[in-house]
Formats: sequence, C-alpha cells, structure tokens
Amino acid sequence: MVDIADLLHKPPDPERVVWELLHRVDDPEIGVNIVDLGLVREVEVGPDGDVHIGMTLTTPTCPLGPYIRQEIENCLGETSWVGYVEVKIVWTPAWNPQTDMTDRAKRELGWIR
Amino acid sequence: MRLGLGLPELRGSLAGDHGPLMALGFLGTVISLERAVALQQRWGYAAPLTSGLGTLASLLGWAIPGGWLLVIAGVLLTAIFVRVLLLQPALHTAVMGAGAVAWIGAAALWLAGHGGLPMATWLAGFLVLTVCGERLELSRFTRLETSARVLFLLAAGVFGLGLLITLPDAHVGAPVVGAGLLGLAAWLARYDVARRTVRTQGITRYMAACLLAGYAWLAAAGITWMASGASYGWSYDAKLHTIFLGFVMSMVFGHAPVIVPSVLGVAVPYRRIYWLHVAILHVGLLTRVLGDATASLTLWRAGGILNEVSILLFIIVTAITSTRATRERSRGRRFSRSGGIPRTSV
Repeated sequence: MVDIADLLHKPPDPERVVWELLHRVDDPEIGVNIVDLGLVREVEVGPDGDVHIGMTLTTPTCPLGPYIRQEIENCLGETSWVGYVEVKIVWTPAWNPQTDMTDRAKRELGWIR
Repeated sequence: MRLGLGLPELRGSLAGDHGPLMALGFLGTVISLERAVALQQRWGYAAPLTSGLGTLASLLGWAIPGGWLLVIAGVLLTAIFVRVLLLQPALHTAVMGAGAVAWIGAAALWLAGHGGLPMATWLAGFLVLTVCGERLELSRFTRLETSARVLFLLAAGVFGLGLLITLPDAHVGAPVVGAGLLGLAAWLARYDVARRTVRTQGITRYMAACLLAGYAWLAAAGITWMASGASYGWSYDAKLHTIFLGFVMSMVFGHAPVIVPSVLGVAVPYRRIYWLHVAILHVGLLTRVLGDATASLTLWRAGGILNEVSILLFIIVTAITSTRATRERSRGRRFSRSGGIPRTSV
C-alpha cells in the first residue's frame, strides 16, 4: 500500500513506492496492471528523484508503448518528489506469459482457478 | 456521394476509389505508423511516409505515381515485419506480415486497373490478417493450447488460399474467402481474450465490446461471401461493408484511445460517450445490410448516412476529448525540483 506521506516526501525506499504505484497502470486491453503482467523489468530511483523504468511489451509490434508511457507519467505525477522519468523498452528476454505473469494475473486471466 | 447525396465532387473517380484510399491511404498509413513507432527505428517511418505521399498523389489525380508509392509502402511495411521476425520470431508476427504482403497485392491490382472484387478481396486480406495477427498475439494471455493454434492456422490458411484463387477465378475464390472469414470469426469468438475482458469495466470493457461486435460482422461477412460468391450489386455492398465498416471500423473505434497516443502523441482518455458512435455505427450497418438483403434503396441510404454520421462523430468526439485532456494535462503539470515539468522518454 502507498501511504500519502510516500507521495508527499521521498520515502527511504523510493523503488518500492514506484513499484506499488505502477500497480495502478493497467494494460487497457487486458484490464490487468503492467506489474502483474510481468512487463516491468526494473525500477531505479536516483538520489535527485529521477526514475528509470525498464520494461518490455508483449511483442515488438505492440503499439501500447506511448499509451503506457503517458499512464506511467500520470501515475508517478501523483508524487511530489519524482523528477525525470525515463521509460526504456527492452526486448530481451522476450516476454513469456508462463514465467513472467504473477499468480494474481494468471488467476484473473483464468490460468489458475 | 455514392449514397446519392448532393455533395460536391473533388475528383472524378474519388468516390469509386474510396475503398483503397480508406484501407491503404488512411488505415494503412495509421497501421504502418503504429508499427514504425513500435519498432523505434528511423527507417521504419519510410512506410507511413510513402503511404501518405501515395495517398496524396492519388487524391490529386496522379494515379500512376500514387499507385506505385502505395505498392512501395506495402513493401516497406513487409520489411518492418521481417525486421520484427528477426528480433522475435513468432507466428502472430508472420500473420501480420502476410497482411502486409496482401497490401502489396491490393495496391498492385489497383495500379494495374483491376479494381472491383479481386482488389477489394486483397484489401480485406491486408486488414483481416493484420487484426487477426494482433488478436492471436493477445490470446497468449489466455494460455492458448496447440490445438487452438492449429485451428487458427487452418482458418487463416483457407482465407489465404481464397485470396490466391480469387486472382485467376473470383467466382471460385470468393466462397473460399468466405469460409476463411467465417472460420477466423469463429476462432476469435471462441479464443479471444475479449470474451473475458468484456466482463470488466471502463476502457477494457469498451474495447472488448467493440471487438466482439466486430467478430459478429466478420461472421456475417463470411456467410455473405459464401452465399453470394463473386456477384456484384446489393450483395457486393454487404460483402465489403461488413468487413471494412463492421469488422475494421469497430476495431478502430475500440482502439482509438490506444492508437491515437501512439501515432499522434496525444492522450485520448476513455469516456462513456464513445459508446454512442459505436452504437450508431452498428445500427447504421445493420440498416444498410437489411437494405442490401431486401434491395431497399431507402434502408441502404439511411444506413449509409448513419455510418457516415458515426465516423464524423468519432472524429469530433476524439478531437474534443484529446484537446481537453491535453489542456488539463498542461494545467495539472507541476514543476519539478529542477524547475521544469516531469520529463519522460521511451
């Protein structure tokens, strides 16, 4: 859970807060957030509040990149301490639904009953 | 204009050419721009640029250079898919690549003056294979079994075979195309993730509803192609518009909140009013197809007008929503510690 204080002041563990906030960004087509879908690979927060997010998409032809970038910007914009946000798309390793999706996502998508 | 409305004419054959200009000129440019953005390589933008120039040339009446540019744009889009296949080999990318090859076929037929059913079939090939490839990709979210992939290949294979047969003999090819369309529609209705996501809410439900409505029209198209073969007249109108309006435009309406940010870089947040132009599109098309089935000029014209209204409304609503979102976004942007707005890059 993200506390209101975590939004107002840079917390001691900013990466955890960014990961939590990214749970609010859904893949619009699937209705499941990008963290549980296994699309977010890494989050780094610099000492000055700059955020670097490494993520993948389900395929290199996926047009969702700019949409998700906007959603991430909106989401992290709720904080007062985030500065520069860099979203870098990486293609290796390729997204694998079997290994990358969390059990929560698999449950929502009918993989697990 | 083709509905018999007293509209001013831009160029002699423009109304007759609206099919390839919409499918390749408008949708083709948007689709190739979408792929170029996704690929993130500068040369990829040559495809939408060439397609846009080809469309402009065709609109200005330079049919031959325009046609050639559209053929080249299809080749460039195919090259994008070859690049993606080298990056990540996958069946769904190959299916979309086959769609790009169908673009080349359609543009070449248009250039050679073979308009009518063969060209329309290949235009449909481009859009149907593009959408089906995308849906096959997204069906990975639902743990697709091997048998389901085999069924997809079977339906897509029949459709592709129909496209090829249409070249020497449209009368034999058209029913095969219809069987392929029906098979693909049945596959999508059975395996697409939209069946699950339509039970959610907001934008996800909206997109799923547009998809499922599109699949119903694809099935209707399959039945019409099988029943009427290569005949022209009323059934020709139904054959084309069940695919290009019912299936394709429904996809465009559903995906606009994702496509527009991708190609124009502006936000189009989901609004409930979007359901209105979707409803008008489908009611209009139902009216039009009823007109086709009963040879009623009144119904056909009323349906056609509703279809045009839905597209105009879609453009207006999207523009207003996007403008408002951009304004709110710039108002709501706070200053960062360094004095600028939060910056994002991909």
